[in-house]
Amino acid sequence: MTAEAPLTAAVEAAAPAVPGPRARTTTRYLRYGAGKVAGAAVSLFAVLVTGFFLFRLIPGDPVKTMTGGRPVSAEQLDSYRREFGLDLPLWQQFTEYCGKALTGDLGTSYQFHTPVVDKISEALPNTLILTGTAFVLYTLLGIVLGTRSAWRHGGLGDRLNTGLALTLYSVPSFWLGLLLIIVFSVGIGPVPGLFPTGGMESGGEEGFAHVLDVAHHLVLPVVTLVAVEYGQTLLVARSALLDEMGGDYLTTARAKGLRDDQVRRRHAVPNALLPTVTLVFVNLGRTVAGVILVETVFSWPGLGGLFYQGLSVPDLPLVQGLFLFFAGTVIVMNTLADLVYPLLDPRVGR
Amino acid sequence: MSTSQQHGRARRRLAAATGAGALILTAGLVPQQAAAADGDKVLTVAVAQSVDSLSPFLAQRLLSTSIHRLTYEYLTNYDAEDARAVPALATKWTSSPDKLTWTYTIRSDSSWSDGERATAEDAAWTFNTMMTDPDAATANGSFVANFRKVTAPSPTELVIELKKPQATMTALDVPIVPKHVWEKVDDYSEFNNDKNFPIVGNGPFILTDYKPDSYVRLKANKDFWRGAPKFDELVFRYYKDQDAAVAALRKGEVSFVSGSPALTPAQASSLKSEKNIKVNDAPGRRFYALAVNPGARAKNGETFGDGDPSLKDERVRHALFMAVDRKTVVDKVFQGYAVQGEGYIPPRFDSYFWKPSDGQELAYDPAKAARLLDEAGYKKNGDGKRVGKDGKPLDYRVLCHATDPNDKAIGQYLQEWWGELGIGVSLNCVDNVTDPWLAGTYDLAFDGWSVNPDPDFVMSIHTCGALPATPKDTGATDNFICDKQYDELYAKQLAEYDPVKRADLVKQMQSRLYDLGYMNVMAYPNAVEAYRTDQIASITTMPKKAGNIYGQDGYWSWWSATPADTGDSGGSDSTGVVVGIVAGVVVLVGAGAFLALRRRSTAEDRE
Amino acid sequence: MTAGTGEPVKDGAPEAPGPRTLARRRRRASAARFWREYRTHRAGLVGLAALALFALVALTAPLTVGSDVSSVTGAPGQPLETPSGEFWLGTDRFGRDLLGLVVWGSRVSLLVGLLAAALCVAIGTLVGITAGHFKGAYATVVMRITDWFLVMPTLVLAIALATVMSRSLGTVVLAIGVTSWPTTARLVRAQTLAVEARPYIERARALGGGHRHIMVRHVLPNVMPLVLAQTTLMISSSILAEATLAFLGLGDPTVVSWGGLLQDAREAGSVSSGNWSYLVPPGLAIAGVALAFTLCGRAVESVLNPRLGVAR
Repeated sequence: MTAEAPLTAAVEAAAPAVPGPRARTTTRYLRYGAGKVAGAAVSLFAVLVTGFFLFRLIPGDPVKTMTGGRPVSAEQLDSYRREFGLDLPLWQQFTEYCGKALTGDLGTSYQFHTPVVDKISEALPNTLILTGTAFVLYTLLGIVLGTRSAWRHGGLGDRLNTGLALTLYSVPSFWLGLLLIIVFSVGIGPVPGLFPTGGMESGGEEGFAHVLDVAHHLVLPVVTLVAVEYGQTLLVARSALLDEMGGDYLTTARAKGLRDDQVRRRHAVPNALLPTVTLVFVNLGRTVAGVILVETVFSWPGLGGLFYQGLSVPDLPLVQGLFLFFAGTVIVMNTLADLVYPLLDPRVGR
Repeated sequence: MSTSQQHGRARRRLAAATGAGALILTAGLVPQQAAAADGDKVLTVAVAQSVDSLSPFLAQRLLSTSIHRLTYEYLTNYDAEDARAVPALATKWTSSPDKLTWTYTIRSDSSWSDGERATAEDAAWTFNTMMTDPDAATANGSFVANFRKVTAPSPTELVIELKKPQATMTALDVPIVPKHVWEKVDDYSEFNNDKNFPIVGNGPFILTDYKPDSYVRLKANKDFWRGAPKFDELVFRYYKDQDAAVAALRKGEVSFVSGSPALTPAQASSLKSEKNIKVNDAPGRRFYALAVNPGARAKNGETFGDGDPSLKDERVRHALFMAVDRKTVVDKVFQGYAVQGEGYIPPRFDSYFWKPSDGQELAYDPAKAARLLDEAGYKKNGDGKRVGKDGKPLDYRVLCHATDPNDKAIGQYLQEWWGELGIGVSLNCVDNVTDPWLAGTYDLAFDGWSVNPDPDFVMSIHTCGALPATPKDTGATDNFICDKQYDELYAKQLAEYDPVKRADLVKQMQSRLYDLGYMNVMAYPNAVEAYRTDQIASITTMPKKAGNIYGQDGYWSWWSATPADTGDSGGSDSTGVVVGIVAGVVVLVGAGAFLALRRRSTAEDRE
Repeated sequence: MTAGTGEPVKDGAPEAPGPRTLARRRRRASAARFWREYRTHRAGLVGLAALALFALVALTAPLTVGSDVSSVTGAPGQPLETPSGEFWLGTDRFGRDLLGLVVWGSRVSLLVGLLAAALCVAIGTLVGITAGHFKGAYATVVMRITDWFLVMPTLVLAIALATVMSRSLGTVVLAIGVTSWPTTARLVRAQTLAVEARPYIERARALGGGHRHIMVRHVLPNVMPLVLAQTTLMISSSILAEATLAFLGLGDPTVVSWGGLLQDAREAGSVSSGNWSYLVPPGLAIAGVALAFTLCGRAVESVLNPRLGVAR
C-alpha cells in the first residue's frame, strides 16, 4: 500500500509498550489492559471530533448540492436544512451528533435517505469478504516464506524471496490491479479472459452457485491485495526469526538431537511469531481502510466506494460515519494487539 | 518414524494446495455454465451510477428514474419518433377552455403485478400524497406545486384542477404508484421501496431484486398492455469504472455499455473493430460550452459570488472566445466524435439550428484577440501578463468536473491558448461543481445541457426571470445571464404559435446570446454507446433515426430490444473453460511437483 | 553507535586541533566508516545506482526532453499513436510523446516524494526530539496525539484532506506529510530517550547547556542517522502515495506526474483496449523508484542496526 509506515519500522513503532517482566501478576495485567482500553476510548473520541469538523471544511452546501441545482426556493432549502439539522449552531450539531453516536445512531445519509449505520452494514460484508480472504492469505504466505527465508538466510532462495517481496511491495496496487485485469480478465492474444472485469457477483445465482460466483469475482482483487501486502509480513517474520536464531535454547534443542526442521518448527518459529502478531493485528485494521484503492479498480461494492460517493456531495453523516468506522477498526485492532501481546509472550507472566 | 511423519505433512500440504487451486479453478468455470443453463434471454446493461432511492417520491438520479420508467406507468409517454406526448396510463386527455381543468381518461387494461387493476384512484392518490406530504414531494414536487385539486370521479377518469395554466400537463414525469401498497408507508422520507421484492408495478418490467452497487434485476412483465418485452430479464450491472465496463462488453459479460456521458474516442475506435459489437455513434442532443460568470446576481438586485470584473467587458469575452480553437477541440479531444460548436442548439434539431454569419463569427484568431484585449485596456506588463483594472495580473479560475476527462483535457488547452494571450488559467477541478456554480464563485466553467425537441427550457435558463429571487434561493438560471434584448425575444417566441416564425425568433435569440459572448459553445458531443450484436439483434433508438439508447425519455430501448439467436455465443465460453482447465492443471502439477521435490531435497539434506 | 559523538577519538594529531575541527574530523571518519559498511550491501548499492540514474534523468530532463514535451498545443503526434521509431512508447491522448512525458513526470513525482518525506520527517523529528527531551505532561500529550495519528487510516485521511483543499501539488505534499509523520516521531523519541540517558548529556547539562543546546548539539546529531534511514524509506512511500492520490483524481490535472499519467491512461480507455505502452511505463517507473529508495533505506537501516538482519 501507500503512505503507510515503511516496512520493519512500522513494527517497532507500533510495538506496544509491553509491561515487560514487571507485569507478573494478573492485577498488573488488568491495570495495563484498562489503561489501553481507556486510551483507545480517548482515541475514538478524538476521531469522532476530527471526523465531525474535518468534513465540514469541504466547500459546499449539502442542501444545494442535494437539490441538484434545480430551482428551489429559500424556504424549501431552509426546510431541508432543518430536516438535516444543519440550521443549528455548529456546537449544538456537534453535541447532538456525539449524543446520537453513543447510542449507535450515526444519522441519515443525505443522498440515500437511509440511516448511515444501515448503509455501512450493507457494504461492510462485501469489504470484509475481500479483506478477510486477502488478509488470511497474505499473513500465511508472509509467515511461511519469511521464516523459511530466515532459516536459510543469505542463500539464493532467501535472496529471491526477499527481492520479490520488496519489488511487489513497491508496486502501486492499483496499477497491478489494472495489469491483472488486462491479462486475466480482458485477455491478451489467444488467452481469453478468465475472470470478471469487476464487481462482486453476477446476480441471480442461488446457494452454492452464488458462492462460486463470488469466489470467481474475488480472485483478481485478492491476488492484487496479497501481492502488495505479503511483503511486509514476510520481512517482519524473517527478521524476527533471525533475531531468535542466535538464541541459546536453539543450540540446546539441537544438542537434544532434534532435526533442523523440528528445531525450526517447534522452537524458533513459535517464538519469532510474537512480534509478527502485533503486525498482524495492525495490518488487519489497516487493510480494511486501505482497501479503497483495490475496490475502486475492481468496482467492488464496498465501503471505499461509499466513502467516495459521500465525499462528493458532501454527504456529511455518511463520510463522518465511515471515517469513524475506518479509524475505529484500526484503533480496536491495535488495542487488541496491545492486549494479546503480553499474554502470548512467554517472557511475560508465566 | 520422523521420516514418515514428514512425508505425511508434505502430502497434506500438497493436498491443501490442490484444493485451493481447484476451488479457484472451478470458481472460474461454473458461473458461465450456470448463466448459460437456464434458457432465459437476459439483457445486461453496464451502469456506474448508484441508485439514490427506489422510491419514486425520492429518486432523482438518471438510473433511478429510468428504472421507474420501466417499472411504473406515467400518465403519458414520449413518442420514440418525435418525442410528442403519446398515451401511457392515460389514453387521452382534454383541457377546459381556460386551461385550468385537465381530464385524463385512464386505461382499463393495465394491472399491477399483484393482480389489482391500476385505476384513476391510484393516480389521484399519488398526486394528492405529493401535494400534502412534503417528504413525498422531494423528487417531483415541482410538477404538483401548481395543482389545486386532484380527483378520480371514476376508475377511468382523473381530473386535475390547476391554480394557473401549466405547460407540462402532457409531460408529467411522475410515476403512478399503487395506492393499496403505498398507503401503508408511514414515513416517505425514509422509505426506499427496496425491501419487498418483487416490487409491485405495472410498467414493461417488474423489479425483482436489487443489491446496492452490485446489480438491479428486472423481469419482463408478460401482461404489459403494450405487449411484453422480448427479453425475459433486464439486469443493470455495476462497473464503477467505465473502462472495466468496456472490457466487460468486449468479453460478453454485458450486452450494452453507454459510458457517462459517452465512450471515449479510444474506446469507441477499438470497439468498432470488434466483430460482434456495434458502436452507436449518434449525433448528440447536448451542447458542450464554456460559460462565463457575468457576476452572479439575484432578482432583488443583490450581487454575490466573486466573478472577475474584467469578464463584464464584452471585448474581453470575445477575445477569450477567439482564443479557443474549436476545431482542435473536436479533432484532438473528441477525435471526431463530436460536431464543431457554432450556435446554441445542436444541428440535430435542424429547424432551430442557427450559425453565425461570416461577419459575426468569432473565429479562432489569437492575434485579433490580443488586439481586442489591448483595446479594452488589459495591457501586458513586464512579465508578459495582462493586468486587470486593479493592477493584478488576470488569472481566471475555470471550474471543471473532476470526473470528466474532456473538461480536464480542454482545460489544459485553455491554459496554453490563453497563456499565449497573457492570461493565466487555474483549472479548478472538483467533484462537487454544483456548489461553486450556484454561489457564483468561479470565472468560467464547463457547461453542457441536453436539448429537448422543444428548446424552450434551454432558452429559458438564460433569461432574467430565471435568476434566483434572493441569493439564498436557487434559481433556474444557468450562469446568471440577464439581458433585456434576449428577454424580449424570449417573451415573443413564447407567445408565437406559428412554428416558422417561432423558430426564427429562437434563432435571433441564439444570435444575441452568441454576440454577448457569455456562452462559448465549443462542440456538440455525439452520444457514443455500444452493444453486442450477438446478444441484441435490434433495439430502438430515440429518435428512431440516429438517436441514443441509454437515458431515453421513454422506455423504448429496453422494451423493444430483441434477443439475437445465441447459437454460437457459448463457443467462446467453452474455449475459455478448456484453456482455463489446461492452465489450471499445468499450474497445479507444477506447484505439486515443486513442493514434492522441495520436500524431498530438504529431507535428503537432513538425513 | 555509528555517529559516536560522545566517544573520545584517538587520532593522534600533532597539533591540538580546536573542538570544531575535532568534531568535523570525527564526523568525516564516521561517514567513511558508514560508507565502508554500506558498500557491503549489494542490494543497497543497486538501489543507490538506480537512484542516481533516476536523479540524473530528472535533473537533465530540461535538456533531454524540455518543458515543451508537456505542451498540449504543440503536441507532435496524433492522439494515441502506437509505438514507432519517432515515438518509442507511442503518444498519449493529446498526441504528446509518452517517453518524454515519463521522463518529464519523474521531476514532479520525485519532487513531491522528496518534499512530502522531508515534511513528514521534519514534523516527526521535531515532535520526537521534544517529546523525548521534555518529559512530563508535554510528552504525554504529544505522544497521545502521535499515537492517535498513528491509528488514523492514512489513505482515508489523505483523501479527505485532498478533498478539503484545492487540487495542487502543495495539497498532495501536505496530505502525505501530515498523515505519515507519527512513525518517525515514535522512532526518534525512542532514540532520543536512549541518547539522553548517556552520561555526557548529564555532563553537558551540568556545564550549563540549555534545552536548545542539548537538543540541537547533542541529541540531533545522534538521531540523524536514524532520521536519514527513515527519510529514505519515507520517500518511497511518499512517491507511492503521490501516485495513488493522482490516480484517484485528487492531484492537479495540469501537472504531468506518473500517477497522473496512469489516471489519463485509464480514462482514455487503455485497459479495455490493452494499450500497454500507455499503462506500463509510468507504473514501472513508480515501482522502480520506490524499490530503489526502499533498498537504500534498508541498507542504511541495517548498517545502523545490524541486529535487524537485513540480507546482504
